[in-house]
Amino acid sequence: MIDKIKELICNYVEADAASITEDTKFIEDLNFTSYDFMCMLGDLEEEYGITVDESDILNIHTVGEAAEYIEKLAREK
Amino acid sequence: MKEININGAVMQCYPLTAAQKLHNFTIKYCPLHQILNIGTGLYVKQEVDFNLLKKAIYMAYERFDTMRLRFVEDEDGTVYQYLVPNEDRDIEYRDYSSWKEEAINNELRKITAVPFKRYNSPMNHIIMIKMPDGYNGMYLKVDHMTMDSSSIIAFNRDVLEIYCHLKYDMPMPKPMMSYFAQVEKDLAYEADSAAKKKDTEFWTAELQKDEPMYTDFTGMGRLLTQRREMGEPDLRSAVITSFDPTAAISVYHLEEEPSARLMQFCIDNNVPMASLLLMGLRTVLSKFNNDEKDVSLKTCISRRGTLLEKRSGGTRIHFFPLRTIIEPETKFIDALHIIQTEQNKIFRHANYDPIEHTIQRQRAFKLRPGASYESISLTYQPMTLRQNAPDMPDIPYKSMWYSNGVAAQPLYLTVMHRPEDNGLNFNFEYRKDAVTEYEMEYLYYYLCRVLFRGIENKERTVGEILELI
Repeated sequence: MIDKIKELICNYVEADAASITEDTKFIEDLNFTSYDFMCMLGDLEEEYGITVDESDILNIHTVGEAAEYIEKLAREK
Repeated sequence: MKEININGAVMQCYPLTAAQKLHNFTIKYCPLHQILNIGTGLYVKQEVDFNLLKKAIYMAYERFDTMRLRFVEDEDGTVYQYLVPNEDRDIEYRDYSSWKEEAINNELRKITAVPFKRYNSPMNHIIMIKMPDGYNGMYLKVDHMTMDSSSIIAFNRDVLEIYCHLKYDMPMPKPMMSYFAQVEKDLAYEADSAAKKKDTEFWTAELQKDEPMYTDFTGMGRLLTQRREMGEPDLRSAVITSFDPTAAISVYHLEEEPSARLMQFCIDNNVPMASLLLMGLRTVLSKFNNDEKDVSLKTCISRRGTLLEKRSGGTRIHFFPLRTIIEPETKFIDALHIIQTEQNKIFRHANYDPIEHTIQRQRAFKLRPGASYESISLTYQPMTLRQNAPDMPDIPYKSMWYSNGVAAQPLYLTVMHRPEDNGLNFNFEYRKDAVTEYEMEYLYYYLCRVLFRGIENKERTVGEILELI
């Protein structure tokens, strides 16, 4: 999942995928805007056939947290 | 795509995107066609080699597709767009160094108010300018159907970086991306895609909710008058259009330190600046309208997520209503999270055609022509000239936005970062028949009071803030 997210991140911001870790923060480290983030989640929804809940997203700040959340939704599908 | 013969050459023409149709719709109903003009200035405090600047501008024209975008009308009156391969117009130079700043601003406002010829003609105008006080740079006027503020900032930055490359041998900026590659994606979405179906479901469901409430930035007067005139004491919408679209821009500068405090609050609490500004505005509207809980604003979304969207120019703004129903006992931070969640929902469905939604809403709530629930539109522009440009030299510079003298909406607030100190500029573009400059100042004053009362104690309730301000 982390690799998929890293790949997607590079569609949104100029980042070196190799330097992205689980602790990388979307806003502070990658300069993501909330629009970037929501669009990226849209890509993940499409890829895994899941639906994210907007209020859950407020607690996701790092790449690791995003991966964990998407994995959980994919398992529960 | 359609092939159209233009002056003897067959050109590949694309239909307009939803964002462009929005502007085309405006021009159809506004007799003053300069309504789509955007005038900006970018000036650096140093001597400029104007021959080199001219060369940099031509190179940027080549790299930036939408600076070469033109429109054509086919035999049925449908508007299409196409790109010309190069730009060879001469670029004008003016020496204003002996002029007073006010006279320069008036002159550039006048130029901004001159409409473009709509078809088969360039949709931008650049003037290189020598300013007083050692500032030099360029004025840029564009048609909003070709560029929006993100595109303008990207183009200005490209010119500046190319100039630095030519003058100081700094690295060339990264190439821009294909505009039509992005248009093809947008048109594919609009052609009954699965994503569009999902968005249609969302916006249809939004219209099943109860009717929102109009709140005006000058108080209850407009709604109460219309309730009386219509003989409908429970009327919840107000007509906000006008036969006199004469407008002006007032800019208020929030100093570097308080701006930094707002930004730090956003970082510490993982809240986007746009949500904080929306919270500030909706609370002021509530205050001005008898502490109304149900407040709607129009939120403008730049829709620049992917690198292709960010680097292909064009005009991408869509606007949608953002409705907030917040009880007075809600804590400031919780209210911010409510707004953030609502905003995130809109982001996920922001590719939907905003005109389509407006028409559907008119039908759903049987609105009178020109009636709305929102008196203010907000854009927060996070992009700056210096952002992600580590090679850019540390030269003092200033940027300007010049009014075209006309506005379709009563009040359009754009909040941007100042390039010189990253402080926030609040650009209020307002229709003169809807609000006075004094009322505008009053609104800005209250907006700041709400923001700072909120961030100094995020546990404070909305009701307490309404009492304090």
